[in-house]
Amino acid sequence: MDVSGTGIQEPFDLIRLSLSERVFVKLRGDRELSGILHAYDGHMNLIMSDVEETIMIVDTESAMAGQGVVNVAKRKMEMLFVRGDSVILVSPPSRT
Amino acid sequence: MAFFGLPERDLPISSIGERPGNIAEYTWGEESYDGLGDALQEGRDDLNDETFGSTGPVGKDFDFSSQAPPELQNDYQQPLRTQPRNATTASLESLWHDHSAFSVLPRSNGPSRAGERHRMSPAPTQTQSHRYASPSHIGHMTGHQSQIRARTLQEIESEMLLNAQRQREQERERQEQEREELLQLEIEQQRLLRQQELLQQERMREREHELQQLMLQEQQQLQQQLQRQRLLQQQQQQQLHSQHTPPPRMMPTSQSPRFLDQQRQLLLVQQQQHQEQQRRLQLEEQLRREELERQMLAMNLERTRVDSPLYNGRRTQASIPAEVQEAHFLQQAYERQLQQQHQQHRRQSSRSPANLNPQYMATLQQDRLQSQDLLLHQRIIAELAAHGELPIDMRNVSQADQEALRAEAMRKILETEKMEEKRRRKAAKIAHMARYNDLMTQSDKDFITRIQVSQLVTQDPYADDFYAQVYGAILRSRMGLQSQDERVLKFGSGGGVGLGLASKGGSRRPSAMQRMEQQVERIVNNARKREEEKSLHALHSLQGALGKTSGRSYKAAPRQLLQVDGAAASPTLSHANPTGHISKGPGETKGGAAEEAAKLGRAALGTAADTDNLVKKEPLTHRQTLVVLEELYDLVLRIEQLRRDQPPSEDDRENDEWKAEYDHLVDRLWNEIRVMVPLETSDPHPFISLLTPSKGKKILPRLTRHLTNQRLLTLLTLLVACFHQLDVVKQALILDDVHDTVERLEVERQTAAFLGSVMQSILPVVSTANLRLVTGLLGLLLDRSNIVAVAQTRPGLALLTLFLSRVEVIKQTIATTPDVSDSPTLEESQQWRMIFDHLFQLLAPHFLTLFPSVRMAHRVSNDMPLQTDAVDQPVWQFLAALALHGVSEQHHVLVASLREKILENVFSVNKGWVQDEEERQTKLANVNLFLHAVNLDSSQIAM
Repeated sequence: MDVSGTGIQEPFDLIRLSLSERVFVKLRGDRELSGILHAYDGHMNLIMSDVEETIMIVDTESAMAGQGVVNVAKRKMEMLFVRGDSVILVSPPSRT
Repeated sequence: MAFFGLPERDLPISSIGERPGNIAEYTWGEESYDGLGDALQEGRDDLNDETFGSTGPVGKDFDFSSQAPPELQNDYQQPLRTQPRNATTASLESLWHDHSAFSVLPRSNGPSRAGERHRMSPAPTQTQSHRYASPSHIGHMTGHQSQIRARTLQEIESEMLLNAQRQREQERERQEQEREELLQLEIEQQRLLRQQELLQQERMREREHELQQLMLQEQQQLQQQLQRQRLLQQQQQQQLHSQHTPPPRMMPTSQSPRFLDQQRQLLLVQQQQHQEQQRRLQLEEQLRREELERQMLAMNLERTRVDSPLYNGRRTQASIPAEVQEAHFLQQAYERQLQQQHQQHRRQSSRSPANLNPQYMATLQQDRLQSQDLLLHQRIIAELAAHGELPIDMRNVSQADQEALRAEAMRKILETEKMEEKRRRKAAKIAHMARYNDLMTQSDKDFITRIQVSQLVTQDPYADDFYAQVYGAILRSRMGLQSQDERVLKFGSGGGVGLGLASKGGSRRPSAMQRMEQQVERIVNNARKREEEKSLHALHSLQGALGKTSGRSYKAAPRQLLQVDGAAASPTLSHANPTGHISKGPGETKGGAAEEAAKLGRAALGTAADTDNLVKKEPLTHRQTLVVLEELYDLVLRIEQLRRDQPPSEDDRENDEWKAEYDHLVDRLWNEIRVMVPLETSDPHPFISLLTPSKGKKILPRLTRHLTNQRLLTLLTLLVACFHQLDVVKQALILDDVHDTVERLEVERQTAAFLGSVMQSILPVVSTANLRLVTGLLGLLLDRSNIVAVAQTRPGLALLTLFLSRVEVIKQTIATTPDVSDSPTLEESQQWRMIFDHLFQLLAPHFLTLFPSVRMAHRVSNDMPLQTDAVDQPVWQFLAALALHGVSEQHHVLVASLREKILENVFSVNKGWVQDEEERQTKLANVNLFLHAVNLDSSQIAM
């Protein structure tokens, strides 16, 4: 597809397409978010609603032979402000 | 320059060397001035004035060097006191900062030397002895000087000491001259003392009484003195304070009154201590005077040793140990007193770090000096004792008296301290906050406001304040207020400030708003003036007023990321169509075809005509949809903006231009939504694809506002024709899931958006449609969609109900006003009847499955309590609408097929299988909704 034709000039334009759509956001600290994107800015600060956060907790204490046990903690939030400096990636959710 | 050279430092010392056995005396400006000062004169100082400024005393603003920590200073001075001869190593700082020659002098131990001198002096007069014991005088002198210009306390302290020293020197040399120099206060004190002296001589036996009187007098005197001192000390304190926390441009006068109050409290405590000192000194003086008398006596008696009181003292000390013991006792008492004082000081200082200041150190030093005086005192007493005439009773009584007074004073001090502690804590807080009070003048504030406001001024106040404006409009409409015009300040040249929401009730806000408006007005006026002068825009004139900002602009608004350039975009837009789906072929008569379809009733749309040129395309991908939607949003925003900017109607040319632009934009919008794309191009149709994301659904009402009725009709036809393609219809089955899955929630969300937005936007079209059109639309729906599947969805039911109720309204209109011009013809009515019958036939076997509760019950194995009445309500509504149109046979069919459901509801209500009143009401209301349509009621049902 023609890049100029789609009006996409910078990476943020792709994020704009996902406005008010469900997005998948990967954060620092082994966290992932899935929620509806409402707003973002140049710092990648995000406003999301209906968010489910997934936190991976690697339990090295009870690990056997260096194999960490990954625990997953989940929580839901109605509305969320995500500070941009923790955002690693923003993507549309995988479609099945 | 000599200022920085070491030789400079050596100078005073060498001069001391020249005069061994004596303290360095610098007597500039006095008659006995020996000209040594001239000898000190260094060379190459001619340009000093130019370098350091010639007029006035040097300010202390940049004096960082002399603010050595007090402890350090104290340590530095202690050795000096023990070795008075070396004390002349005056610090360079004092030399540098103080033009007074005395600052070069040693800053310590006047009293110790005074003691020596006292002992050595052949015949000290009364005034002399009195003079030693007046620290208040010292304080006064210092205060006086501090009035002249601001100095550091360190300096003041040193100067204070130096002055005392100097006075002593002067005293020894010229008493007469000095007396003239005495301040009024001192003179009075002297007079009183002299009176007292006379009294003393007269009434040697009535000492106790006299002493008390004297003390009273002294106290009164001191009160006056303290009044003056207080003022001076306040100044010092302020000076001190400003040293501790010196914010820029802080003026001593700008202290808050509470701060001054606190200072006064502090001073009060200090003064009370001071009073005590005074009292002690008074006693000392008396003793000294007595001693002098004795000395006179002794001189008379022992003419051979008239000049050596020192010898005298030594001799007596050695000879009369009993008296010495007494003297020791007295000294111990003093020392205890001193200790108490110190402790007090320490307590204070532990509470407030502000007390760890040079002034405290000064008082400490004073105390030390006094303790040195005590040594002297001891000797005096010893001398007195030598003559065996020391009035013991007087001492005892006076001591007891003193004790009582001290206790009183201590109690008062403690009380005051307690109060003061509270107040201090409060005041410290306030002072901390008030440090920056009045830093800015009103004009400063105005200036800043102006800058801020100028940053708020934008070309498009409404759009920059968009959310607040829209929210405000919604709020106003919800509250039923007359919607005012936009809350925007507009200026002539297109700029303006968005005012946000209307503030309601706030007491501060309105005035702030008014002030801002005034500011804005001023800015605008200024800008206009400047515009006239420079023909510059208001914004430009203020730009860079605070210096250049680098990088991004100040505006807090999110950066516009998709820059759709208006001029450039128009030619590229058709090209920018990412799908390229639009085939603008000769077969572009889709709308006409739809119309045709409406005319033909349930006849199929004339798509066959189009199929010739039809280019089958892949449906829009999700991403393409999103891209198109973004463009749509941009367009809609621009169109909305354009509508707000509609020029006043009088200017025709401008209006035409505006109209042209508006139409152009609306045309683009129309193309973008792809309604005119042939029906069979793809499945789903591009337009339906655009409705898939929730933002696509939500934009429709904003978009349809700008479309003509004809276009809206086409849009509606397309929507109906492709109704089965809608995501909300396709995925409606998920809603029947009893579990709250993510998918179900998503579909729920989409459905709500569809009902709220899409149905809302087609509602005005349908509600004005004539019977023929409704018949056509229903026929189209029946023809193209699986009507049973559609009817099992909420959007489908809503659409069907909409059609049926519209026809019902038409029927009623005919019944009431039969002369309406566009009343349906008989043919149209027959067509409607036919279509309706067809619909009924198709749905009849599935009436029960229309209920979500029934469908859900199939999925649920056990009878879990489901709150389905609310979900069922639209179905009951639809069935009621169906019944309204139906004939009696159809009613029978309806009731027969719904009998089970109706009975279930009625039974559960009657037998109390409901959880609460609300559920009962809902169930009954649902059933009655339908039963009323067939002229029945739930109460008629026999149990």
